Amino acid sequence: MAQFRLEGTKVLAVTLGGGSDAVKAKNGAMVAYDGQMAFKKMTGGGEGLRGMVTRRLTGEQMAVMEVKGQGTCYFADRASDISLVRLNGEKLHVEASNLLCTDAGLRTGTTFTGLRGASQGNGLFTTTVEGAGEAALMSDGPAVLLRVTHGMPLQVDPGAYIAHQGNLRQTFQSGVTFRTFMGEGSGESFQIRFEGDGLVYVQPSERNTVGGDV
Amino acid sequence: MTTAPQVFDAGSLPANDNVNPYAFCVDLNGQWFLQKGKMIAYYGQIDFHGIGHGPLDGLIASSFHSPLHASDWVVAQGQGKLLLADRAFDINSYDLEEGNLTVRSGNLLAYEPSLSLKQSIIPGFLTLIGTGKFVAASNGEVHFLEPPVRVDPQALVGWSDCPSPCHHYDHQYLRGVMGGVRAMTGLGGASGEEHQFEFVGAGTVLIQSTESLMAERDTGAVPQEDGVPGGGQGDRQGGAQPPGQGGGLQRRFGL
Repeated sequence: MAQFRLEGTKVLAVTLGGGSDAVKAKNGAMVAYDGQMAFKKMTGGGEGLRGMVTRRLTGEQMAVMEVKGQGTCYFADRASDISLVRLNGEKLHVEASNLLCTDAGLRTGTTFTGLRGASQGNGLFTTTVEGAGEAALMSDGPAVLLRVTHGMPLQVDPGAYIAHQGNLRQTFQSGVTFRTFMGEGSGESFQIRFEGDGLVYVQPSERNTVGGDV
Repeated sequence: MTTAPQVFDAGSLPANDNVNPYAFCVDLNGQWFLQKGKMIAYYGQIDFHGIGHGPLDGLIASSFHSPLHASDWVVAQGQGKLLLADRAFDINSYDLEEGNLTVRSGNLLAYEPSLSLKQSIIPGFLTLIGTGKFVAASNGEVHFLEPPVRVDPQALVGWSDCPSPCHHYDHQYLRGVMGGVRAMTGLGGASGEEHQFEFVGAGTVLIQSTESLMAERDTGAVPQEDGVPGGGQGDRQGGAQPPGQGGGLQRRFGL
């Protein structure tokens, strides 16, 4: 199985042992490697024709390549900070744009997230990663991990949301009042509310969101 | 894999302290002012109110004195833990005790209502007066300097207590026509560091560790009045151009 390791906070080193060892990584994210590596563009995120069509339809396109070989491959993307997530059969939801690299043994897919995506300008869908193995997430600035437990829900700005895992229910919360239309909006009118039991990853920065100025 | 990342919840988040160098946690119990769009997440019951007429009038009257950029600020009201961050810039909190601090408008993120926020006489800067805590961002770490000191204009984040923020031009740079030619053409070797901000007197000067500025926030217009810097009245001829910045050669020769 591929070994994931961080070199500092912004470079991911993946050690591959040859044979069937492989990872899926964001296209073009390789910065260096030693040993023998083969890079193969995977059309449609490597999810077959159905996955390709789904991704095209949902706007969660990922340009993904498969990396196979023996040695160590280094990945980085625009000096983003990287967090490693180890999955043991759980499901991780992540924004396609924040996914850097996954073990080839993990299944990726697309799910409907509801209204949240619309405010984010990221579409109505999110990417899921499922199975056993490691995944690497990217964030603008080091990600903060926040735990959600019963009775302690968490509200997150859609622009700062990266990923979540666990048994969470997400609802879209809007604080739009008539004052918003009077030009006295609070700028924090839209939030995603997470309830249940799980972990949420947020980044210390906000993407530009459609709802951000309201 | 190196050490496992730390997981925070409402109880383990620091109270009024940094979570990491790029995110700050406010233990909210009452009200805080914050710039729009700097909240990334929160636990608890918190409402965000735009600044305007309404139930917050009294609070705003005592702590917010910059009516024309009210639309950039919100009041967070309630109880809980509030996480603040700004484009992954470094974030620091500062405590003022019966003090004052002037900071570049784009750098200020949030402040406690026991402080009061006013526009500085110097355009583009905001002054906080009183006792309390505020949170500011910087591009790279903040360093504290003691006057007398000259700093690069782009590195300046703010200052406290200093009575004399002023421009300083190197004499060599100013001298004669050659100075003007150099400034306009770059011939004769301009180092790009001929102009600084100078501070003398008791106080502290804050600088950031890069020269790339953070986006300015509008601080609101000042009254159109004579004697108000930036007031725009009686646009003095060449007034917008400091000496030694090229152009205005006529003025140099006294024509």
